Amino acid sequence: MPPLPVITGLGFITSIGNDKATVLRNLHELRHGLEPFVFLDNPNVPVKVAGTVKDFAFPTTNWRDWNWPAAYAIDRETVRGLAPHGVYAFCAVQQALAEAGLGVDALSDGGTGLFCASAGSPLLLGQHLSQMYATRGERGNPMGIVSSIAGTLNFNLAAYYHIRGAVCGFVSACTSSSHALGYAMDEIRLGRQQRMLVVGAEDMNTESILPFASLRALSVNPNPDTASRPFDRRRDGFVGTGGAVALVVEDAALAHRRGAPIYAELAGWGQAGDGHSVAASHPEGAGLREAMRRALADAQVTPRDIDYVNAHATSTPAGDRSEALALQAVFGGARPKVSSTKALTGHGLSLAGAMEVAFCALALAEGFIPGAAHLEEPDPACASFDLPRTSLDSAPRLVLKNSSGFGGSNVCHVLRRVP
Amino acid sequence: METHLPLSTSVTPPVDLEEKLRHLPVDARAAFRRFQADGKAADLDVVIFAILEDFIPKKTGPALAGLPGDTPLMDGLGFDSLAITEIIFFAEDLFGISISNEEILKVRTIDELRRFILRKAAAKRAA
Repeated sequence: MPPLPVITGLGFITSIGNDKATVLRNLHELRHGLEPFVFLDNPNVPVKVAGTVKDFAFPTTNWRDWNWPAAYAIDRETVRGLAPHGVYAFCAVQQALAEAGLGVDALSDGGTGLFCASAGSPLLLGQHLSQMYATRGERGNPMGIVSSIAGTLNFNLAAYYHIRGAVCGFVSACTSSSHALGYAMDEIRLGRQQRMLVVGAEDMNTESILPFASLRALSVNPNPDTASRPFDRRRDGFVGTGGAVALVVEDAALAHRRGAPIYAELAGWGQAGDGHSVAASHPEGAGLREAMRRALADAQVTPRDIDYVNAHATSTPAGDRSEALALQAVFGGARPKVSSTKALTGHGLSLAGAMEVAFCALALAEGFIPGAAHLEEPDPACASFDLPRTSLDSAPRLVLKNSSGFGGSNVCHVLRRVP
Repeated sequence: METHLPLSTSVTPPVDLEEKLRHLPVDARAAFRRFQADGKAADLDVVIFAILEDFIPKKTGPALAGLPGDTPLMDGLGFDSLAITEIIFFAEDLFGISISNEEILKVRTIDELRRFILRKAAAKRAA
């Protein structure tokens, strides 16, 4: 039997919870994790809300001032090379490995690889460059590069866990961790690796979020209860968030031999570019449309087989409309349930795809469909969709997860409930 | 006409000593101020051991001040080249000294580090 990638471990540090039980409850009850947030202590900044990560504190760029939950062991040798999102990631990975019943020794035999996604840490990069300018190049933090540039997650996690399999970082903005997961699936399907750790993470701070205000991409709605409302007619932009999510993906045969819990099968994935704009999505979602079709074909299923679509929809006027048109084109008369869990979490950028695939895995394993939170007046482009306003206690069998990013990058995943 | 930033052989960036010392224990901060005033080696030792304790990659064994002076930093205590470099940069800022790569490579033990920084810091004070 050919290798079949399945998810056997999940770890969450997110705005809606820092453990599986809390995330599950908040997803099911549609409780969001957004809070008022003052950027740069400047009340004139029009963006007022963020998807905050609770129980962590990074008051300065010096790791000696950082705090994270005591349950997670991160020694000084490790933390000195981390960005804030690296701290999130180490906590999420520890959860995921415990869930999957894997000890540290199991990761270093060459059969396990590690694919990560983050945009790096603009906060730390800015701080290191400021120091370089101030000293005219004569001083620097030796850990400045490995803690701040894109790749910091894979540098640190691979070293700490002695990963000897495939190690790589993926940078495609908001499709980054979806790419990481797709290529991780392929590593297993091609027989190159038996197991992959996939990690998506982002800092949750001004430096990672506020630059998107320059694109007019962020919501200026000051109400955390409505600032993120994907597919709603009154949506006005996304709410930024950070955190980390880790997934353990294994060949099903290995998972069965170990007696590991299996959340879901990764049935297929597909990607396609818009070929259109550096920042804006194609107005009719051309690339996303094709990516969905490729993912469905890879999974050998049809649109009618899909019970639930976890949309990319970030709550921006243009992006949600493009996705709605792409969904219409692909699904036609088929009416899967559609929601975007970014209404609850905010948009996690490089983290988003992994986080939302993990939500889909929970939905498949626990037998529910997350509702479309904060949706009151659906955009007319969504008229043909089934957008449940509350979570449904009906077990989906097949789920489609969409992701889109800068440069018109689109990645889709199909997940199947374990028979 | 082209303009250039003023050239100098060595930078003298403003160093916020309070910020640098903030994470060291109270007794080490007091010892640093005494060393600045009196230049006594015993005070500098307190500061150096506090720095070593702060930058050691894995805090496992007993207090470093109680170990034999010939204990190797790298093989004996688990310091790696990154941590040594962090200590050097920290000491350069704190004492206003400059340390070359060649000099770093010659420092292998606790005593060698103590003597090296004492010599450099004392010379700086004398200047």
